[in-house]
Formats: sequence, C-alpha cells, structure tokens
Amino acid sequence: MQETMVEIENSSPLSVSPASGEAHILTVDNQIKADQSAETILQPTKKKRSLPGMPDPDAEVIALSPKTLLATNRFVCEICNKGFQRDQNLQLHRRGHNLPWKLRQRTSKDIRKRVYVCPEPTCVHHDPSRALGDLTGIKKHFCRKHGEKKYKCERCSKKYAVQSDWKAHMKTCGTREYRCDCGTLFSRRDSFITHRAFCDALAQESARSQPSVLPTSGGDMKVKLVEPPPPAASSPPPPPLTPSTGVLSPVLSIRSSAELPENHSANFPPPPPGPAALTSSIATTITTTTPAIATATATVTTSSCSTSGSNVPGNGTVFAHTFSSSASGLGQSSQEPASYSSILCAMAGSHQPAVDPMSLSLSSPFHSPSPLFSATSQSPQPHYVSRPQPALSATALLQKAAQMGATSSNPSFLRGLGLALPSPSDPQENTSTMASTSSTTPTHWSSSVKLENNSLASGLGLGLPSSGSSSLNELMMTPSTLFGNKPATLDFLGLGMGAGEASPGGFSAFLSSIGGRLNMATTASFPGVRPAGETWNDSPERKPSML
Amino acid sequence: MVQEEGSSSLSSSPLHMFSLMSLSPGLGSPFPWLREMGSEERGLCLIHLLLVCANHVAAGSIENANICLECISHLASPAGDTMQRIAAYFTEALADRILKGWPGLHKALNSTKTTSVAEEILVHKLFYEFCPFLKLSYVITNQAILEAMEGEKVVHIIDLNCFEPTQWISLLRALSARPDGPPHVRITGVHEQNEVLDQMAHRLNEEAEKLDILFQFNPIVSKLENLDVKSLCVKTGEAVAVSSVLQLHSLLAVNHEMTQMDSPYLSKSPCTLQRVLQTNPCTLGEFLEKDVINACSASPDSASSSPIYSAPSPKMTSFLYALCGLSPNLMVVTEQESNHNGFNLTDRITEALNFYAALFDCLESTMPRASIERQKIEKMLFGKEIKNIIACEGVDRTKRHEKLDKWIPRLELAGLGKVPLSYHAMLQARRLLQSSNYHGYKIKDENSCFMLCWQDQPLFSVSAWRFRQYR
Repeated sequence: MQETMVEIENSSPLSVSPASGEAHILTVDNQIKADQSAETILQPTKKKRSLPGMPDPDAEVIALSPKTLLATNRFVCEICNKGFQRDQNLQLHRRGHNLPWKLRQRTSKDIRKRVYVCPEPTCVHHDPSRALGDLTGIKKHFCRKHGEKKYKCERCSKKYAVQSDWKAHMKTCGTREYRCDCGTLFSRRDSFITHRAFCDALAQESARSQPSVLPTSGGDMKVKLVEPPPPAASSPPPPPLTPSTGVLSPVLSIRSSAELPENHSANFPPPPPGPAALTSSIATTITTTTPAIATATATVTTSSCSTSGSNVPGNGTVFAHTFSSSASGLGQSSQEPASYSSILCAMAGSHQPAVDPMSLSLSSPFHSPSPLFSATSQSPQPHYVSRPQPALSATALLQKAAQMGATSSNPSFLRGLGLALPSPSDPQENTSTMASTSSTTPTHWSSSVKLENNSLASGLGLGLPSSGSSSLNELMMTPSTLFGNKPATLDFLGLGMGAGEASPGGFSAFLSSIGGRLNMATTASFPGVRPAGETWNDSPERKPSML
Repeated sequence: MVQEEGSSSLSSSPLHMFSLMSLSPGLGSPFPWLREMGSEERGLCLIHLLLVCANHVAAGSIENANICLECISHLASPAGDTMQRIAAYFTEALADRILKGWPGLHKALNSTKTTSVAEEILVHKLFYEFCPFLKLSYVITNQAILEAMEGEKVVHIIDLNCFEPTQWISLLRALSARPDGPPHVRITGVHEQNEVLDQMAHRLNEEAEKLDILFQFNPIVSKLENLDVKSLCVKTGEAVAVSSVLQLHSLLAVNHEMTQMDSPYLSKSPCTLQRVLQTNPCTLGEFLEKDVINACSASPDSASSSPIYSAPSPKMTSFLYALCGLSPNLMVVTEQESNHNGFNLTDRITEALNFYAALFDCLESTMPRASIERQKIEKMLFGKEIKNIIACEGVDRTKRHEKLDKWIPRLELAGLGKVPLSYHAMLQARRLLQSSNYHGYKIKDENSCFMLCWQDQPLFSVSAWRFRQYR
C-alpha cells in the first residue's frame, strides 16, 4: 500500500512541497490526502512552450482546485496536526518534534520547476501554456481576478481581494497625493509629474497659486526621481533612453511645481496672463532654485548627462539640446543661465547653479523681458514695472482696433474718411470682409460717400471732446474682451458703426483731421484740432490708469 | 537688454515733423499733440491709417494713398515698437505696389539694388535661431519620419529647402539609435544656392561618419518650381520621405488671375480629376492646363468663399503628381497658417497684418529693439514677404500662403492621405519649447495636425501625408 502510494506520490506530485509530501508518503494521512488528493487534478505532462511568461517548457503544470488554492494553513504537521501557512514554518515546527534523521531530510531528487494554472475556466491562465510560475502568484491572481474583494480602504474606498494589496495601498493612500490643477488626482509622483508637464489646463490656470500637496523637503525630492513610464508607447528607443527623457520633465516639473505654490513677488502679481505666467514661472525656475531642488538637480544632471552622453538619444533630448544650444549661443546674453539644456549639461560637476538660493521671487534681472513681452500681449494692465512704457503688442493692438471699431461710434471719423475715400470698385466685397456687422455696412458706406464737405468741419467741431475723456477711457477699457477675439474679422474702418452724433474723442479727431487734409479743407478746420490737442495733453496723465 | 522707450523715436520726430509741416502748404501745426500720443494710440492710428491707405491703393486713388502714406511715415519707423515696424514695412510694400503703376520708374529704382546671397542665407539662419517655429517643425518632421520609417532598411529623404544641417543631424542620430540598427540613409537636398548645399553635405557626411551610418547626400541646385522630380534619383525599394518646410505655397503662383465663374464642371471636378490622375498619367499637366483650367475658368484664388473646390495651379498639381509618382511613405508639410492668397488686395492686407503682427511680436519678445539681427529678419525676411504679398501679382507673387484647411483638399486630391501626427511628436515639440527660452509659444493639435501658435494665434501648420494608392 505504501509503495503504491509512493509511486503515486512520486509520479503525481501534490501541491505541497516534496518534503512534506515525503512525510505524507510515509505517514499515511488520510485526512490530508482526502483534503488534497481527492480534489487535485494532477497533470504531470510537459506542455509545449508558446507564450512568453512560461520560460520553462519542462516544468510541471499543476492545477489546483479553488479550495486548495485558497486554503490557508496548508502545511500540516503530521505529528500533531498543527497547520501552518508556510512550509518553512512547518519545518521549523517539525524540528521541535525531534524526528529521527531520515524523516527530517527532503528527498534529494531534483526539484522540477512547477507552474500553476488558474482553476477558473474562463481565465486566460487556465490554459497550461499560460500558466504562472509561482504558487503565491497564482493564489494572488485567483483572488484578485476571480475572488471577492473583501478588503476596503477607508480613505478612498477602494476594494481589494488580496490582503497584501490592501495593506500596500493603505500605506500610500492619502499619504502623498498629487493633484493637478485640472483636477486629476495622482498617487504616483512620476505619473503626476509627467501629466503636469503637458497638462493644458495647467497652462491656462497658472495664475492661481497651487494648493496641491507637494513635497518641498529636499530629501523627498532627491529620492523620488524614479523613471516615469515612457510618455508614448510608440517611442522606439528602448529603456536606456527613458532616464534622460524622463528625467528632463520631472526636473522641469519639480522646478515649476516648487515654484508655483510660492507666492509670487510684486513683480508677478496675480492674475498675470495665463500661459505667459506659467512659461515665465518655468523660466524663472530655471534661473532660481532652492537648495533642495539644486541637490535634486545635481543628482539628475549627473544621471541625465551620463545617459544622454552614452546613448546618443535620438528623440527629444537631442533635438532639444541641438536646437536650444544653438539658441542659447546667440546674443541672448542675459538669458544664458536660463538655458535649461546648458544648465543640465554644464552643471554635471557642480552642484549648484549659480543663482540665488531660496529666492523664488522673480527678481527682475533674471526675469528676462520675454515673459514681459508675452504677458503684455494679452492685457494692457501694468504688471511689469521694470518696463518703462508697457506697450501693447501688435496683435493686441489689432484686436483692440477691431473692438474700437465695433463698439464706439465714430461719425466724424467716418465722415472724414468717407469724404476722402472714393467708392471702391466693389464696396460690398470690401465691407463684407472687413466689417463685423455686415448687414449694416453697405448703407453706411454708401451714405458716407455721399456726405458733404461741410459736415467735415462740423464733425471736427463735434470732435471736441467734452465727452472725450470718458470715451477715451472707454476706448481703453475694452481690453477685457480682447483675448477672445478672432483677429480675422476686423472692422478697421469702423464701417459697422452707427451714425451717432457723439464723437469718441481726440483720436478720431486726428483721423478727421486727416480726412480734412485729404480734402484740402480750409485752415478753419485746424483750430478745431487744437482743442483736440488738449485732449491729447490729457492723455499722458490718464495713461497710468489705462495702462 | 536694452529696452528703448517706444516714445523715444517719436520724441525725435516732432522737430522733423515741424519742418515738414512748414514746407507743405495749409497744414499749419496739427501735430504737436502727436508728441503726446502714447504708443497704444499711435499703434491704433497706424492700423487705421494702414487700412485707409490700403483701400486707396486697391481703388487706385494714388493721391489719397500718398497722403495716407505721408501720415503714416510720421508715425512709423523700422526701429520703433512692433506696430511702428509693421507699419514701416507695410507702407513700403504699398508704395512699391503703387510704383509698379509706373514700370519704368519702378525698374529704375530697383535696378541698383543688390541682394547679397550671403545675407539672405544668414537671414534664414537667424530666423531659425530666434524663432522656434522652424525648430519645432524639424522636430515634428523628424519624429514623423522616424515613426514612418520603422523597419525600413533604406530611407531616402527629400528636403525641398535644405539649408539647416541640424535638422538632419538630429534625424541621423535618432536613426542610429534604432534598436535594429540604422538604415541606409540617403538625403537629397534641394536649394538654390550651391554653397548652402556644400555646407550641408560636409556637415552631414561628417555626422554620418561619426555615427557609422551608410549615408549619401545628393545636392540638387534648383528652384522648386523647376525641380525635375526624376533628378531626385529615387530608386525602387527605397522608403521615401519628403520634407517641405514653407516651400509648397510658392507653387501656387499662376500666370494670370481669372475671375471666378460658376461652372458645372466645378462641382464634379474633384472626382474627375481623381480619375484623370489615374488614367492619364502622361499628359496630366497638359490636360489640366488645357481642359480643366480653361474649361471651368475657376479662379486660382483658393481663398474664395465658394465651398466648391477651385482648380489648383498647374504647377502645384504637376509637382504633387510627380511626387506621388515616387510613392512617398511620408510627406511632412509645414506652411504658414494664414490666407495671403486672396484675390482681393485688402483681404490680403488684413490677413497679412494679423499674421505679421504676431510674427513681429514673437521677435519683440525674444530680441531687443536695437538688435541688428532682428532688423535683418524683419527687413529681409518678413519685409520681403510682405512686399511680395502686397506689391506683386501673378507669377511674381510667390508668397501665396494659405491656411491648412485649404491645403488639405488640395493634397488629398493629389492622392495623399493624411497621417496623424503622434502624441510623441507633440511631447518632443513641447519639450523643446520648455527647454529653450521660448515663452509664449504653443502647439495645438487640430485633427492630428499641429498648429504652432504664438499666444493662441496659429501661425504655422504642420501636417503629415502619405501616398495613398487608389484601387
């Protein structure tokens, strides 16, 4: 009986380890065998290798029943029937029974590699060719996929079937949370950083100070520069590349993320124009760092330079380096330290970029005019004190001209110009392309053409702005809607305007004067201009408020 | 950085103005208040004046245009703020256009103007350095080529304006880092100047040697419109990629602008042309010239508001057709995203104002006002383009920029199918922007074509195409 048992045992191994299997052979333990052998399907056949994940074609495939898989305390001491979760624990326990030597040793036959299949028939791992190599692994897999999720995290109510998963989650849940401005929550730092680098919402909302929980302590930043998953699965370069590429973005984000929570100095007050603010903050982070960031940078730079040096990476880093190094080489002397790639590659040895430590305030020497310029393009409000006369960019001016033409009524201007302009060959065409209110323009156009000379002087007279100051201010106050305007439809000639009587002031008076000159009007018109000059005199004083 | 006050140029001019004013009769002294004009008001003035002048020029009233130009000249300056500079170049273009009305005068004035080839090359390099658009385009192009050429053993790249070695050096490096080894690379560069191509050849050969890639560079000295596609020496079995950066639009120049006429031919011409392309390969060019163009007499102005497609220029069609004959795996087209090909002068001027305002703003944000390089770019690159758009007509007007939504049907008709640009390319491009000193630029993805924007205004479009075979 024992021999047969031995044969059976030898040829069809149980799910338990050989040692205890041996013990079971010798001590006929019906209870155990009834538990296990009755329900085990033993397949000692060798399966052909088909998919990766099954490295050993000679391995024995073992299929266990769900009950066996989930059973705890599978290792039972034959002497006292005490159950153990682990075989090693059982062995330790058995030592205490002072067994004779023969019974203690494992059989010395070579241990075959065993692979396990999932008992769930619908699972992909049910097929022996997709078996998993680890018993613990198959147990966990079975629990995770086909088991009931018994463990629940209290903070985020995420459920887990495997207790170890649950414990691992509990360690990190809520301890470090990264929230991007677009609302996405990340538990992993690397995915957060990658996301932040390219988040569009972030770019638009850079005005607000970030309430996200970011580790600003130096130790954390030093440690956690794990390689982020490659941004796109399609990138051909293999993993050696990702340290350099991945490292660029986290460092950038470290700087920007550390930058943004800080309150900006007066030079950069909220709300600065959106994208300009973000880009300028990134720019300034490049120039100003904290000591913690600097140390992180140092570790990053060494690693990145070494990897980028050795790999000749084919993607963005090289492009960035080759293109940006050429940019930094040319005449932008004040922005030399701001060149990111130059910092990366040049600072491999040193550990501190030579900039102000801990000064996250945007000091104007470092605060190159570029954010200034990009910022001023969006609003005429004076955010940047360093520039003596914050000029509007040309695009903003164009938008404003469109606004002005659309909103204000410029009859004197219109008349002045209308007199001068002959009816073009195709008035419809001109106005339809250039007027925002195309329905009314043809009439205005034609009516303006018919206006008499005399109205010019009256127009100029009207041009004396009693209401000039207010309308001029009004003119300047329209910028709030500028940003959304499409510059394509511009009502430059103010053709879409009503033929109201009020004149918006000195500006139009100037244009009317041009109209006057175009008609070679008498000098009588020019005295009318001088009071307009007074209007203009007022404008410098008004300028600070407008701008 | 030197920051000149915008008003400084103005403060010097009132004296000048006074002297001018005293000369011209009846003008009195209307301009003292010009002195107090802030830069913003001056900018708005300039805009209004420019358009008034444009209208005059379009209408042919020279006298009035002259007066406008004179007014503008008091305010504009190529060394002032952005709007002043723009106005300066636009008025120069308008004046040039007016002058063409007297051909003898125009020729006499322009006969002694010499253009130094070296300067032109330099200006292109400056534009490449100081504005990120070309760099971004190159990065995106390279990434698209990399992705399209995965697994290919022989890669042949045709560069329609080969002047910047860095572009291909990066690609060579990327190709050499491929896991299954670099392919055999051939680059055919087209350019009008021999020196540029020599320089390219030298740099690229050097780089290929360093990277140990089998490499061959074929220079072709030719204007794009005279390019003979057969001379590109494309061998069968090669994977061809074509890179066209700001070049294709020059092929849209046609001999004479015809007025737009509705024609039943127009409505079905897309299909007919497609079939024609298939069945009649040899005589396509002539066919188009004779039949389609004359029969439908469609306006070559593709900026017309008609939703029906308008006949393409014969040069463009034959060129695209010839290119398709090479069955390119990839063709990356970078073009200006603005409509400067309108039939109507005022339309063109309006569009050009917006476009170049953005470009001038880009320069303003990166370079100081006193910078000579900036002046060079503005004058010799942008100024020339503006002059071409405004003052030239017919075949001379080569700067026929068009928006992407006009390019797409044109390219599709020629037998190209759009290839979406990958997210990876976008990441590369954004990384470039972040790592360099470029602030205020954005890249947007629109239907898997990229728009390179300055502050939300798209300025350049990058799209990728491949030859799509009909059954």
